[in-house]
Amino acid sequence: MCSHCLPPLYPVVRMGRGYIVEDVVEKYLSNLSVPGASCVTGLLIGQSSSQRDFVVLAVRTPQKDTEGQGSPSASRRAGNSLDHLDVEWVTEHARQVSRMLPGGLSVIGVFLVTPPELSKEAQNTLRRLIFAVDKHISKGRLWSLTEEDVTEKVTLHICSKTRKVVCRTFDVRDPKSSAKPADWKYQSGVCTSWPLLTCSVGLDLVFPVLEMHVLPQDMEKCMKEGLQTWAQQIEGGLCLINGNAMPDEVELLGGQKKNAKAVQQMFLAQILIPMAEPQSERRSTASVKVCSGSLTLKGMVQCRAYLHSNKPKAKHATEVIKRDVINTVSSRVEMFLEDLLMEGVDKGLVGVQQGLPRRVFAPVPGMSLCVCDYMFPDECVSDVSDRLKEMLDWETPEDSIDTSQEAVPEAPTIDIKNPVVQKNLRTKSTVDAGPKTPSEDPTEAHKSHKTYYAGVAMAAAIALLAAGTSLLYLSD
Amino acid sequence: MVVGNIILRLRGSLEFKCQLDSTDVPHVQKVISRTFEALGSQVKAESLVLGLCSSPVFLWPNKGGHATAGEISPNRPCKDLQQLIQTDDQESSSRKSAKKDKKNPPAGIINLTLMTEVTETGVLSVAPTLLRERKKHHLLQTTLPMDCVVSVPSSESISVVCGTLVGALCSQLGDMEKVALRHMKGTALLIPQPFHFLLPAPVGLVTVVYPAGVPDSQLETRRKELHSLFELPDNRPYLRRANALHFPDEPYKDGYLRNPHVHLNHPVLENGKPYLVQGTYSYHHYMQDRMDDNGWGCAYRSLQTICSWFQQQGYVERAVPSHKEIQQALVEVGDKQGSFLGSRQWIGSIEVAAVLDQLLGVTSKIMFNVSGSLLRRELANHFLSEGTPIMIGGGVLAHTILGVAWSETTGQIRYLILDPHYTGAEDLQVITDKGWCGWKGPEFWDQNAYYNLCLPQRPKTI
Repeated sequence: MCSHCLPPLYPVVRMGRGYIVEDVVEKYLSNLSVPGASCVTGLLIGQSSSQRDFVVLAVRTPQKDTEGQGSPSASRRAGNSLDHLDVEWVTEHARQVSRMLPGGLSVIGVFLVTPPELSKEAQNTLRRLIFAVDKHISKGRLWSLTEEDVTEKVTLHICSKTRKVVCRTFDVRDPKSSAKPADWKYQSGVCTSWPLLTCSVGLDLVFPVLEMHVLPQDMEKCMKEGLQTWAQQIEGGLCLINGNAMPDEVELLGGQKKNAKAVQQMFLAQILIPMAEPQSERRSTASVKVCSGSLTLKGMVQCRAYLHSNKPKAKHATEVIKRDVINTVSSRVEMFLEDLLMEGVDKGLVGVQQGLPRRVFAPVPGMSLCVCDYMFPDECVSDVSDRLKEMLDWETPEDSIDTSQEAVPEAPTIDIKNPVVQKNLRTKSTVDAGPKTPSEDPTEAHKSHKTYYAGVAMAAAIALLAAGTSLLYLSD
Repeated sequence: MVVGNIILRLRGSLEFKCQLDSTDVPHVQKVISRTFEALGSQVKAESLVLGLCSSPVFLWPNKGGHATAGEISPNRPCKDLQQLIQTDDQESSSRKSAKKDKKNPPAGIINLTLMTEVTETGVLSVAPTLLRERKKHHLLQTTLPMDCVVSVPSSESISVVCGTLVGALCSQLGDMEKVALRHMKGTALLIPQPFHFLLPAPVGLVTVVYPAGVPDSQLETRRKELHSLFELPDNRPYLRRANALHFPDEPYKDGYLRNPHVHLNHPVLENGKPYLVQGTYSYHHYMQDRMDDNGWGCAYRSLQTICSWFQQQGYVERAVPSHKEIQQALVEVGDKQGSFLGSRQWIGSIEVAAVLDQLLGVTSKIMFNVSGSLLRRELANHFLSEGTPIMIGGGVLAHTILGVAWSETTGQIRYLILDPHYTGAEDLQVITDKGWCGWKGPEFWDQNAYYNLCLPQRPKTI
């Protein structure tokens, strides 16, 4: 029986959703080392469609260490009670992981392994977790959910002793929603024939910096506004698939014979933006704005998206690839801004083209899917490999990481005559690997850290600093 | 329109954006010109795409006319594009104005829209870079409303037609640049807007760019230049904005019916021909504009129809006056007392002429006490020379005369009447079927009544 012709799971009308889960997830979950009476949280990654839901990956939340490397107190601290569970840590992990997922794939749920005595309390925790995770990963999103998007997310509870699995869903759109039972069924080769869509999108965007704004503080605001307009253009654009405009409701995989060998089809997407007259105001003169500068974003980004194999339609295909286009640009800009914030001093040079992170791809072990990561100009493949281990909990040989999809931009042109450039060149500081300034909460100890530009720790620090909460560090 | 030719219309907005480092005139002009030049390059870029409206077809004009949709290839004749346009059959059959389509078949205009492809194939991606610049400047930003119309032989290949369209875009950009620079003041850039005009043969279809916000009255010099260029008579307007060609596939925004009389079968009289109103007008009648003037407003409505004619031919820019404005005008000229305002008093041809003069600056000829068979030759001459709708009042009714036809041999006579007493909706079918706009015989007139006519005269101006 092929993977997309599934029998109904019950002879009666099913009330809840049905999750089709890759076998490797079962292996991963059963191999999770859960010492003693501790709890383990993690993310479930996959894709939801109106009819079915698919889970292709499970990743445990990385360890956070607040006192030292591998000290006994750390594992004790890690929580044998659900009260000590660090929800913010889990959500930040989810946000970092989301950036590594191409279009179509997303964090669609969370799992929690607890000893039997905590099973009841676990349900409440899962509920808190799933709402918090969804809220956090939706922040800064530049595209909007549509009515057709599935807003049910899955929570999985696993008893560490009996290995019994309880699967429930919540509608994250409704804070008052109650848990609905759902089916959890393992299968092999769930995503082997998932179609892949790719495209390269050219960027040549100039964002004005209005007079009232000051660089670099207001850079984020200016970029966000500009990107929002661009994202709306992409969302409103027309998508050709393999050179054709397919009507929304046509099945993407229409030509495939039912018993044909499951093969991953590749589709090339092209995005056309209408240059239409704005309906709103009928001005008679051009608008004039006084500006103090500008921000120019140039390049050509590589985009990728996966669709499930359960009768996907053309409209789903255009949606996932467009969302990846928007995500990849906004993620990189976010990372760039976070990096600046973290550095404290803005060593960003004016008049110099600075490289934004470069997208690289890595295969998921045992599957025909890829995840992605972003390399800052001064990073190398080993950094990517380390991040993949930290975020997604698997080993990736460096030579399997594909860095060829996006080229490094040409050496930046420095306008030597620009007095600001000259000033910056004289006072340019090197990266400091020493301890950073303490956080607002004096009770938290801090550790020196390796300068991962986009590592969990730094991003978490930025995110939490920005939110005004206490700092957490991950030691290497 | 040339027989055997197809009209293609390409519309879209090009983003006009430039940085002015200083506001002194030479610098501003240089930057504006450079920006137009860059737009010219954009239009010739491979990423430009033309979308064929109401179809899944897209053309890359700068890639030799390469298209999506397998059946179309660049060397096919452009008339093949028409077959790919999806007409909404269900919609047109349910609409009552199916009759309209019978009389005026679609002119076969192929509408295209401007698009740009943001993706690229066969090129290696490059990680993005960010350039921050600190430079005080004025940012000028607007969209240019491109609207090009070309007429090509229907057998011309798609790739050649694509080239023609891109050429039309470039030349329109050139016209827009001239207009922008001519009317620029400081940093105020008036948006250049294209208008299409169908001029009498042999000129045909021309496109003129006018600056937004500058009323027709201030553009007379330009019109004089164009009138002389196209050898147009200098006593009637052809190139005012209101004279712009109305494309058959565009709905009128104001909701009034235009020229319902063209949907009628004109009387076939032995040795006779119809003399008709020229140009376009809107049908104004009882109960429109949420004004219940049933029983007293017929002359007001006829006057409104006449005003609409002057507006649509470009003689005036003011909107058709309301009953209130009409009454106000009459009080202002001293024709009526203040108590007239807000009343339901009838008006006659004299008042109609007075209002036309007061509000529109239009003079009229009045004919009094015309009875029995109306002076047909006078009517015919009027329609030939002035071509304006005529208001006729007498007895208890007022009407609008739009035409006259009679047989030299039999003496049969018919009058084309637009009746303002209609109280229904803007339903062309009903209006023509029930004779609210229709040809009437002499029995239409009350033989015992005396009629006065108001014949509005065309101002002799461009």
